Amino acid sequence: MKWRVIPFAEYSAFRNMAVDEAVSESVRNGGPPTIRFYGWNPSAVSVGYFQSMEKEVNVRNCRESGVDMVRRRTGGGAVYHDNKGEITYSVIGKLELFPRDIIASYRLICGWICDSLNLLGIRSEFKPINDIVVNGRKISGNAQTRREGALLQHGTIIYDVDVGRMFSLLNVPDEKIKDKMIATVRERVTSVRQQKNVVKEHAYWALMKGFTTGKEHFTGPLTEEEEARAETIEEERYRKKSWNHMR
Amino acid sequence: MYYEEKVSGGKLVCFSVETAGGAVKKVRITGDFFLHPEDTIVRIEEALAGLAVDAGEDEAERRIMRAVGNSELIGATPGDFARIFKRAVS
Repeated sequence: MKWRVIPFAEYSAFRNMAVDEAVSESVRNGGPPTIRFYGWNPSAVSVGYFQSMEKEVNVRNCRESGVDMVRRRTGGGAVYHDNKGEITYSVIGKLELFPRDIIASYRLICGWICDSLNLLGIRSEFKPINDIVVNGRKISGNAQTRREGALLQHGTIIYDVDVGRMFSLLNVPDEKIKDKMIATVRERVTSVRQQKNVVKEHAYWALMKGFTTGKEHFTGPLTEEEEARAETIEEERYRKKSWNHMR
Repeated sequence: MYYEEKVSGGKLVCFSVETAGGAVKKVRITGDFFLHPEDTIVRIEEALAGLAVDAGEDEAERRIMRAVGNSELIGATPGDFARIFKRAVS
């Protein structure tokens, strides 16, 4: 069994989510398990499947800043995906490739991220359910879904973080304590750049290595069928208000 | 009617409940927990509709557990859901 690796490329939030779904369909139909790296252009906010867009996201500020808003098919929390500040990955394969236990499967895939960070000299650990931390500070968030025999896990590796900008785009429960919350999050979140002064390309190199070491793999693009399906899914789901604002 | 709680482990669970004539009419559950498959959330919401507002937390939990069935709720438990639901309608 050979993994397909799709190298880093930037897309809109809507296309990114649609591509993950199109690849999941192709995996279900016998396509190769796939590791994909991607970025967000423009920057975007994604909310978890069960979250309320209006509650979590400052919709007006996002619109004014040209930041896309999208609902994921995975659970978990709201994430600000900065165009320059993160590298996102997805891992998509048949369920048989992964532990049946959900936390164990998070641990497996998150282990590849820990291996990658290790190559940069950053000691990190998996913190169940879905985080990776460095000395207790979050450096990566991950989310998984399992549908019709396929597992999709995507997640972000924070390369650089601007907590102030993040909180101008996400809502806080109480405006009165916003400054305090920003200070707390600054203490609880870290980034590759805070830990090691490396360029983003170096971090990506480490991720590529950490995800592929020990796996038979080839580098390949999306197939024409996947591209076409992604275009359809983007229009029919991820660009629709009925989807993005369904909760 | 609304109640939210950060449950043990740190995930947020929010219940928004509409009632009419002493019974639950509509439930909307939001939060940053995980549930596989995700569509199960609608089954849980529907399972609580029709329940008497003054029904016990145990009955709510039984309905939630039946609706969850073989699905996997991660980051929260049916008991958390029942407690938060009950606080929302109280």
